[in-house]
Amino acid sequence: MGIPILLQGHERSITQIKYNREGDLLFTVAKDPIVNVWYSVNGERLGTYMGHTGAVWCVDADWDTKHVLTGSADNSCRLWDCETGKQLALLKTNSAVRTCGFDFGGNIIMFSTDKQMGYQCFVSFFDLRDPSQIDNNEPYMKIPCNDSKITSAVWGPLGECIIAGHESGELNQYSAKSGEVLVNVKEHSRQINDIQLSRDMTMFVTASKDNTAKLFDSTTLEHQKTFRTERPVNSAALSPNYDHVVLGGGQEAMDVTTTSTRIGKFEARFFHLAFEEEFGRVKGHFGPINSVAFHPDGKSYSSGGEDGYVRIHYFDPQYFEFEFEA
Amino acid sequence: MQDAENVAVPEAAEERAEPGQQQPAAEPPPDEGLLRPAGPGAPEAAGTEASSEEVAVAEAGPEPEPEVRTEPAAEAEAASGPSESLSPPAAEEPPGSHAEPPVPAQGEAPGERARAECADSRAQAASEDAGGNEGSAAEAEPRALENGDADEPSFSDPEDFVDDVSEEELLGDVLKDRPQEADGIDSVIVVDNVPQVGPDRLEKLKNVIHKIFSKFGKITNDFYPEEDGKTKGYIFLEYASPAHAVDAVKNADGYKLDKQHTFRVNLFTDFDKYMTISDEWDIPEKQPFKDLGNLRYWLEEAECRDQYSVIFESGDRTSIFWNDVKDPVSIEERARWTETYVRWSPKGTYLATFHQRGIALWGGEKFKQIQRFSHQGVQLIDFSPCERYLVTFSPLMDTQDDPQAIIIWDILTGHKKRGFHCESSAHWPIFKWSHDGKFFARMTLDTLSIYETPSMGLLDKKSLKISGIKDFSWSPGGNIIAFWVPEDKDIPARVTLMQLPTRQEIRVRNLFNVVDCKLHWQKNGDYLCVKVDRTPKGTQGVVTNFEIFRMREKQVPVDVVEMKETIIAFAWEPNGSKFAVLHGEAPRISVSFYHVKNNGKIELIKMFDKQQANTIFWSPQGQFVVLAGLRSMNGALAFVDTSDCTVMNIAEHYMASDVEWDPTGRYVVTSVSWWSHKVDNAYWLWTFQGRLLQKNNKDRFCQLLWRPRPPTLLSQEQIKQIKKDLKKYSKIFEQKDRLSQSKASKELVERRRTMMEDFRKYRKMAQELYMEQKNERLELRGGVDTDELDSNVDDWEEETIEFFVTEEIIPLGNQE
Repeated sequence: MGIPILLQGHERSITQIKYNREGDLLFTVAKDPIVNVWYSVNGERLGTYMGHTGAVWCVDADWDTKHVLTGSADNSCRLWDCETGKQLALLKTNSAVRTCGFDFGGNIIMFSTDKQMGYQCFVSFFDLRDPSQIDNNEPYMKIPCNDSKITSAVWGPLGECIIAGHESGELNQYSAKSGEVLVNVKEHSRQINDIQLSRDMTMFVTASKDNTAKLFDSTTLEHQKTFRTERPVNSAALSPNYDHVVLGGGQEAMDVTTTSTRIGKFEARFFHLAFEEEFGRVKGHFGPINSVAFHPDGKSYSSGGEDGYVRIHYFDPQYFEFEFEA
Repeated sequence: MQDAENVAVPEAAEERAEPGQQQPAAEPPPDEGLLRPAGPGAPEAAGTEASSEEVAVAEAGPEPEPEVRTEPAAEAEAASGPSESLSPPAAEEPPGSHAEPPVPAQGEAPGERARAECADSRAQAASEDAGGNEGSAAEAEPRALENGDADEPSFSDPEDFVDDVSEEELLGDVLKDRPQEADGIDSVIVVDNVPQVGPDRLEKLKNVIHKIFSKFGKITNDFYPEEDGKTKGYIFLEYASPAHAVDAVKNADGYKLDKQHTFRVNLFTDFDKYMTISDEWDIPEKQPFKDLGNLRYWLEEAECRDQYSVIFESGDRTSIFWNDVKDPVSIEERARWTETYVRWSPKGTYLATFHQRGIALWGGEKFKQIQRFSHQGVQLIDFSPCERYLVTFSPLMDTQDDPQAIIIWDILTGHKKRGFHCESSAHWPIFKWSHDGKFFARMTLDTLSIYETPSMGLLDKKSLKISGIKDFSWSPGGNIIAFWVPEDKDIPARVTLMQLPTRQEIRVRNLFNVVDCKLHWQKNGDYLCVKVDRTPKGTQGVVTNFEIFRMREKQVPVDVVEMKETIIAFAWEPNGSKFAVLHGEAPRISVSFYHVKNNGKIELIKMFDKQQANTIFWSPQGQFVVLAGLRSMNGALAFVDTSDCTVMNIAEHYMASDVEWDPTGRYVVTSVSWWSHKVDNAYWLWTFQGRLLQKNNKDRFCQLLWRPRPPTLLSQEQIKQIKKDLKKYSKIFEQKDRLSQSKASKELVERRRTMMEDFRKYRKMAQELYMEQKNERLELRGGVDTDELDSNVDDWEEETIEFFVTEEIIPLGNQE
């Protein structure tokens, strides 16, 4: 692995990083109120989206990279013009916005809020084609989630449903039309920190505090594979062109002081999708990795850590040549 | 209590074959009745044999007298007349008698008698309507004829009948047994094994007896039966009150007058008790045989693998595994198997689990429950080395009259053997066992108390007074106790080796300016090292002397190694003559290996400095040693071969809290226990050379314990032969290893292949669905094909990006 590109644009821990569909841009959000966008090829900062006043938990860009959506602990979800950085909409909420996302067509946004300060956890849906919904801050649908709060969520294929991971380790597929639970599974024993779809959206990988990442089918939510580590997994991403998955994690921030500070404990770990076997590790961060993302071309990946850094890694030729004996 | 041996539970059968037959008092009572009363005034007694009986009775259980009580009960029954009770009086046997076979054996006699009496009274009834009940009539016949009123046709009295028949006449045989008013015999005791003397020395004897027995109360009367001018060897004493008599029996029984004469003291009223013991010995009822299977099945495993127990999920789950080079193989896993931790018995037969209400022992192939010991709030346990006894400690429940802070149990029967008081459990085990489990000892202020099994009584009925005793320890190779006493004014400190049960001091060593001593036995008992911290006169600070006692040599010679540095740890090589010492101050810690040569010289073999270690773990087979820097030293590990003192490997298990060698010395496990560190809880398996084989992460892993193995059955010669033929064996093993390795890699490849196939199948299905939805996707994105990254490459716009620019030109607005 060559020398990674180090992105230093945040003052606090990274919370999420995401490539746009083409992969030329990389969006990063952190526990500071700054939303950054970078050129993924050289790590140059393209700009920032200024407006949030609290930690930003989530970020998403629509398929044609026109809009950017961010959710924050300042009790707001904001829609930005990607190119100009102008804030297009400000949706006020009662509690922190934990997850957010554009649907496949880029017309509908959803975000989930935390169970916090006496407020329940909700998933709200807005249709951007109907400006009144935004103007009046009236979602066309609001799914209450009483049992266990949502800790990660993504849109399912074709925007028909969302897939949400809960604090309890449960996975739910909610209909984006009726709001009802279509499928419920519980394969994780603890909080699901991250969900990421494969490029074709037919499957997704979950990252959980129970030290595992798991692969599921997007339509049926059938459990396919399990990747085990000895640390809580904060994020997992699927390679777009290989049967590989990368896991990032480590001890929770509060436990870090009781663990070895030496480098090597906070590695990104690569597993084979079919064999569930680990075949590689990438060192670098000196804190837990909070978010990982594969470049859409599969030639590089990025990781954002508790240490506040984002690292873009380009793979060596050996990576592409490596094969398991089978 | 010397007789206790005779009635003891038979020596531990290795496997618990038939517990039912191993009841303590299964031995027949002596053929001769112990005491034979000839008349109320001058009873004749055959008090020759010291009675092993009362031992038997005492052993029998908590209620030694029920057989005495049975009689009045049966009487009452009989006296109550022919009313309705046709049930066999045997049913009157005290409850619980079935649990205790000896009791029915003795209770049988009164039962029999009651039956006869019952038959008697029934006969009277039956005589009225003879033939009414075939059975009872027939039974009654002979007696009825004797009574001479068999012909009486009607039972009703004529109207003018005057009842002039005394009850004595009518029921004489029954009434003669009715309870008598106490006429003083309750206060009479019988003393056996009194010296037989002529008239010349009788007065002297009487004086001696008086001296001994008036301690318990005022003696109002005595009687010394004589024959041919000599006393008969037993005497009768009467006290002013029955309580004194009971006191005398309790305290003077077993009194050693001299070498030949040990008193046996009994209550005169116990005559009946011993009279009713049937001459016929009834075989105790056989208890159903509980087949526990082969409790040592794990030793027969073809691959000679070892087992270990693992507690994880912060104690919620306990598993037993076969250790395997590849992956541990689970044998048993149970939720909430124990409430705190587990312990293996010293030979590995039992697994003990801890519960609020007591201890449970598990074993056999399926880990079934074998025994339970009810001890509320039990916290600590200890097995005797022979696995016969279990010692449990609970801080609850102890009362002044009923000591039960510490309880010693018989593992085979599950019975409580004895309870003890306990002031503090700080130095567990309180009781230390001799290597063979014959003795156990405890230290209290100025006292060393040694008890013997199976009686659980004090050895020779006396504790040892050792003023100032600080610590003691049994030799693992013989019944020798080592203890030490600190300096007292002008008397030097002293280490003493004492042979048991003779109490002979085989070696005493005086030491001067002693601060502290620690006793370290080599595993076979070949050597004892006393680590002596001293402050010699004229020097500053503490120096440490290692006083090495060579136990196998005449007069136990002692050699000394002196060290000026702080000693961190000391450990003998098991089965060897080397020892290792960690010394110095962090970060300059060194390890030194010494060898005790045949001529007694102690030679420094090697010293390594700059060690990161605070504990020494020898392989149970010796030669190999792991030096570990546990906890605060971050889990540094050094694997050393002491035959040539080479460091085979240096490694680390970060924050390791424990190191456990397997019983064969082939593997060693290091672990981070949740009990000491809350993250990265795992156990790692290494070879004895320090090659890491496995990292086993278990959620909130707490404890790993290897299942111990019993000592080998091979003789020294056989072991030597095996060592000689090692090449032959190693060839076989190497071949086996190669085979299993190639098999393993084949299996792995095979497994991967099937996994890949399955995965491909799944992917194909998913992709088919994906292709079907192509039109919907196109529709949703306004006709733009985004399926491939470059599928709409025509729409792309070129963008110029410079690397490492000094002047930043960021082209904006050229997306799409």
